[in-house]
Amino acid sequence: MQFAQIRDLVEITPETAGPIAADFLIGTWINSNPDTTGIARMVMSEAGGKLTLQTFAIGPDDLIDWGTTNVTVVASSAASREGAGFTCVYDLGFAETRLQGMIMKGLLVLAQFQTFKDDSGRAGYFVREYYALDHGRF
Amino acid sequence: MNNTMGFKQSRDLHPDLSDPATRTLNAANLIGRWLNTDPATKGIAEIEIEQSGEQFYVSAVGAGSHGPISWPRSSAQALANLEEEAGQRSIALAVDFDFGFMKAETYLRANKGVLVIVLFNVFLDQSGRSNYVNREFYYRRD
Repeated sequence: MQFAQIRDLVEITPETAGPIAADFLIGTWINSNPDTTGIARMVMSEAGGKLTLQTFAIGPDDLIDWGTTNVTVVASSAASREGAGFTCVYDLGFAETRLQGMIMKGLLVLAQFQTFKDDSGRAGYFVREYYALDHGRF
Repeated sequence: MNNTMGFKQSRDLHPDLSDPATRTLNAANLIGRWLNTDPATKGIAEIEIEQSGEQFYVSAVGAGSHGPISWPRSSAQALANLEEEAGQRSIALAVDFDFGFMKAETYLRANKGVLVIVLFNVFLDQSGRSNYVNREFYYRRD
């Protein structure tokens, strides 16, 4: 088994093999900052064993629907089958956005990496925001 | 604000993004050699960040079972960090390490003198290992 660091070296047995559980990611995630100028809401869905993400961001007049993209779920270790976060990419045409989400104490910590592909000369940027799962109970 | 620019969120039109100085703001707080705060780490033991002009390079040393493992020196993308640290705008670096059997998508940023690294490790082989995320902390050792 190839590895780049000791924590990559794990034993996978038939008992420990299988997909990463990602039920906890499914639902609507709301930005904790009501004044955000970025991603306001994300909807994580599952179909046929695959997770997809639909993203809605703040626009000048209304929310902007980015559409849906496929998601790669990650665990907290190479041996774990419990989901701990996800990564995905949006190609927005004029820009590419990579999203990396980590669950910490029930919050989704989302890192966004935005690189511009147009000739606007804008610098790419990084931002981190926090999202709560809308549980609909209150 | 130039409304002819493409955008998918209001933040894309932040005026600072069009300032040429934004790309290199406070890069000095990332440059140098960094050691893991955990001497028994099973992950990346050491990081070195270099700058040549506007280009950044990241080298890493992974903890191995029979000695350190040098990761390939990789170019990093500098991104304006729209969060302010201690009242100052800094930069973050995004870098991908490609090992063939695994790809490590990494971002690095300095926060109050500590280098924070988040790795999303995605296995490309058929080993059955889970893709995983890991976060580690480093102190400067120039």
